[in-house]
Amino acid sequence: MKSLRKIASMAVLSTATFAYAGTALAQTELDFWSWRQEDVKAYNEIIAAFEEQNPDIKVTFTAHEATSYNTILTTALAGGAGPDIMHTRSYGSLEAIAAPGYLEPLDGKIDLSALSADELLGTTLRADGHVYAVPFASQTIVVFYNKDLFEQHDVALPETWDEFLAASQKFKDAGVIPLANGLADAWTMEIMSGAFLPNFYGKDFFGEVTSGATDFEDERFVNALEKFAALKDYMPQGYEGVDYATMKQLFSAGQAAMFVGGSFDIPTFVSSGVNFDIMQGPAAEEGGPRMVATWLDGGYGVNAASENKEAALKFIQFTATQPFAQMLTDKLANVPAVDGADISDPMLAKVSDFHAEATPYIMLVAFRFNTPTGSTLLQNGLQELFTGKKTAAEVAADISAGIKSAE
Amino acid sequence: MATIELRDVTKDFGGVQVIHGANLSIEDNEFVVFVGPSGCGKSTLLRLLSGLEELSSGEIHIDGERVDHLPPARRGLAMVFQSYALYPHMTVFQNMSYALKVAKKSKQEIEAKVHAAAEILQLTELLDRKPKALSGGQRQRVAIGRAIVRDPKVFLFDEPLSNLDAKLRVQMRIELTNLHQQLQSTMIYVTHDQVEAMTMADKIVVMRNGHIEQVGAPLELFNKPVNKFVAGFIGSPAMNFFQGKIISANEGAYEAQLDNGAQFKFKTKAGLLNAEDKIDLGVRPEDLQPNQDGSGKIVGKATAVERLGAQTYVYLSSPIKESMIIHHAGDLDVQSGEEIEVSFNLESCHLFGPDEQRIEFDG
Amino acid sequence: MAQAIDTTYENAVARRRNLRKLWLAFLLFPAMAILLTFVFLPMASAVWYSVYDWDGLVRGEFVGLANFQEVLFDARNNKFLINAFFNNVKVFIALMIVQNGLALTLALLLAREPKGYRFYQIAFFLPVILSTVIIGFQWKLFLNPIFGLVNTLLRNVGLGDWAMPWLGLPETALGSMILVNAWHWVGFPTLVFLAAIHRIPKDLIEAARLDGASEWMIARDIIWPLMAPAVTIIVVLTFIGSFNWFEIPYIMGGLEGAPAYSTDMLGLLFYRTAFGSVSAGNSDFGTGSALAVLIFIFIFTFSTIATRYLTSREVELS
Ligand SMILES: Nc1ncnc2c1ncn2[C@@H]1O[C@H](COP(=O)(O)OP(=O)(O)OP(=O)(O)O)[C@@H](O)[C@H]1O
Ligand SMILES: [Mg+2]
Repeated sequence: MKSLRKIASMAVLSTATFAYAGTALAQTELDFWSWRQEDVKAYNEIIAAFEEQNPDIKVTFTAHEATSYNTILTTALAGGAGPDIMHTRSYGSLEAIAAPGYLEPLDGKIDLSALSADELLGTTLRADGHVYAVPFASQTIVVFYNKDLFEQHDVALPETWDEFLAASQKFKDAGVIPLANGLADAWTMEIMSGAFLPNFYGKDFFGEVTSGATDFEDERFVNALEKFAALKDYMPQGYEGVDYATMKQLFSAGQAAMFVGGSFDIPTFVSSGVNFDIMQGPAAEEGGPRMVATWLDGGYGVNAASENKEAALKFIQFTATQPFAQMLTDKLANVPAVDGADISDPMLAKVSDFHAEATPYIMLVAFRFNTPTGSTLLQNGLQELFTGKKTAAEVAADISAGIKSAE
Repeated sequence: MATIELRDVTKDFGGVQVIHGANLSIEDNEFVVFVGPSGCGKSTLLRLLSGLEELSSGEIHIDGERVDHLPPARRGLAMVFQSYALYPHMTVFQNMSYALKVAKKSKQEIEAKVHAAAEILQLTELLDRKPKALSGGQRQRVAIGRAIVRDPKVFLFDEPLSNLDAKLRVQMRIELTNLHQQLQSTMIYVTHDQVEAMTMADKIVVMRNGHIEQVGAPLELFNKPVNKFVAGFIGSPAMNFFQGKIISANEGAYEAQLDNGAQFKFKTKAGLLNAEDKIDLGVRPEDLQPNQDGSGKIVGKATAVERLGAQTYVYLSSPIKESMIIHHAGDLDVQSGEEIEVSFNLESCHLFGPDEQRIEFDG
Repeated sequence: MAQAIDTTYENAVARRRNLRKLWLAFLLFPAMAILLTFVFLPMASAVWYSVYDWDGLVRGEFVGLANFQEVLFDARNNKFLINAFFNNVKVFIALMIVQNGLALTLALLLAREPKGYRFYQIAFFLPVILSTVIIGFQWKLFLNPIFGLVNTLLRNVGLGDWAMPWLGLPETALGSMILVNAWHWVGFPTLVFLAAIHRIPKDLIEAARLDGASEWMIARDIIWPLMAPAVTIIVVLTFIGSFNWFEIPYIMGGLEGAPAYSTDMLGLLFYRTAFGSVSAGNSDFGTGSALAVLIFIFIFTFSTIATRYLTSREVELS
């Protein structure tokens, strides 16, 4: 609070002081592109704060249509007409623009100390080890649950897999859909798996499978899939055809007791008015870890061909600082990647607490660099598993073979 | 080889009645021609017979058997359309054999029948051609051939020759007459052509506005038309009509005056006419002649003269009648614009009463 | 002297002929320009793209036919290609039977002008003018396993056992989409067939009826052969439409042909390959263009052969 007031008073002061000088100074203009059309207002406020401290820099924020953003951005960069600063995606999608040299490496040029190594992983080009963007926020997979329904049917919050199944059975017997999730939108299956698979395959699997010490036919992974498949009994009738919109509707309307989704779903349920809370996926066994899968949403990068690189780096440095992170969580309800922000939203704070036991969202983080991607393989494998077309072992073998063919 | 009987046949299309209670009987092996102005219902009557249209009321009997509930194919009729209606994607042979194929006749029988019909119609050379590669007359013959192979009890023709040129028409007319003789079957034939009607028919049916006006042999209709319409319709060029009225009626003896002032006396049944009744006196062009001493005399100016050598047509205009026509056998030296006097004999005239019905002179 | 006159005459004729050619060229110019810019140029560029290596949208080196080889013979790609291709084949066959068969039946019925046929004609045609996108979303909602109209109706009439996650099961998803497509488009072939039937002179049908043909024989022996031009058009259009099928499967099953690639189509595969997708990976213009070129060659070849063959059995109505 104190710091905020300070910023505010500084702002007033600086406006007064530099009002005249600001117009007289030669201003550097920076273009800032993003896909976050819904965040334009918040970003303009954040930018205003930056401009007050840096009156010689003017930043123009432009938000493009989300689904075609990658195409628009790459086309512009390839044609030498890209913006000075840009929102980048993470992991594989970042590599697509970092590898051809469109982005300025940031390590050594700005202070990245407020970011953890895990978070920087999402914006690091594996080929040269350089960081090409400042991570901005993470997403986390959580289990949403309807507090009223749990109370009404007298179900205790499940902590282990067995408890989870028992609770689900209890809801099912009571005529309540235990789990709102369905198969129709394949990506939601990958999300759902993120809440359950890691606790079965354990803490070490990620490191081993990414290093090549093991593959997806590993017993731990097959076992995880097998266990996970049991949930199809607790999904809605006709879950094979239930899409993302329907799932959210089922949960919002109180027809389903639980829903596995991302932290990005929180605002939807807040505005729907359903009395909900979030929890981690269940532990495989009593006392086992309850890990949440997380991944980095994206970052802020600098165009290597920018003529205003110095000013651009200045802005990027700003995004790697605590005040920026604070505004990001206050204004945009994100869990910022940069440390030190005080998360006031209780739901976000809870998500942030879950990060104590975080695990990388495996396919997105580690296997989205080649075709076919791990996500595609997992999503379709899960559709086959949950429609009974293939067994867990067959699905695991397919994924393993697909990943190997992509290397 | 069939008799046909229509009893009180009516037809309306969506509330508009186009056939009003037609009664007609046709003898076995007769050649019947339907004539009448365009739109009078000739085609409709034919289609009712064929079964392509359903009756609104009435009955149709063929050979004593009621057929109006039967589908077209079960009535034993064949129809030849004005447009020929040949199947464009089939060869002549296929066109002619289609009905037999549908009837599941044996291959040999089909071959035999088609070839026999083709022989009659001189189509043998053309059996493998498609209709597109035929002349109008050839197409016409194929259409007839298609009807023949089915051995129908009755042939229906709807203006079959109207798309042919004059010379071909004459030729086909003769061929059709011969065919009728050869096949010995009942034929019903619709035409606009006077000559066709008069030369081909055993019996002519004159229709007007959905009514059958008169049925009879060609010369019977020519000599004794039952009403003014038939009188005007049969005969070419058409009959001249003079209007007039009855000036006195006395038992069976009448006196009438034409609009030109000419008066004449005649006898007929008593009470048929009254004084002041309007009458029409019909005179055929061939009965209206110059240079003769007839009982009725008219002076007029020739507006047009057609001298064909063997016959002469003179168009006359006079104060009492805008235009009339004279048909003179042989040459007549009259110039256009010339005034001439023509006359007629009452005995050769046709008298029609106020209801336009024929009134027979009595002695 | 006579010669001189002849030359002038010939000159005049030649000049007139040239003027006419110029005028024709002038008239053709806009059409040619549009064709060139929007048809030939993109086609040529697809061929051009397909022989280069691409890193995302950045063109790399010339690789000859390597992209084609990758699309056709690389085990990673060609299993998708084969799967998608046979799905397109299924779509074509099913649309020929369901959509065009229904259209033919409807056209034959409507041609007899039953009571209210104008209303039906419009009713059947109405979905054709609706946007495919709207229809896709609409039917996706109708087919929703929980709230959807289809399952609700089935449950209400006591056929609850038939209620199914239509778009979620590999066994029913493609069929459902084909039916939606048939619902969307059936009015078009119906109208084309109906127009073709109306073009057949009534006399021909009446002649056949007098020849003793049943309604079925009339349809088979007279109407069907004489509709050949319309059938040609519809078969070829259905073929092209089936192998370019995109909107409905994209909207109802997504870019990956969910569930489990059972609704994957060449068009979706092309899109994923060329432009990438959020979960399927990065764009590759090289193999994407190669795939597009192959699809084009396939459709072009087969529709040309089909047109040739079908046209040969057409008859002119004199
Ligand atoms: N299908 C129909 N619907 C309504 N009216 C019809 C139909 N067919 C014929 N008519 C009407 O019935 C009347 C008789 O028609 P029809 O074709 O029998 O005449 P027609 O004597 O054959 O004439 P034409 O010499 O011109 O061939 C006409 O007034 C015609 O308009
Ligand atoms: Mg007629």
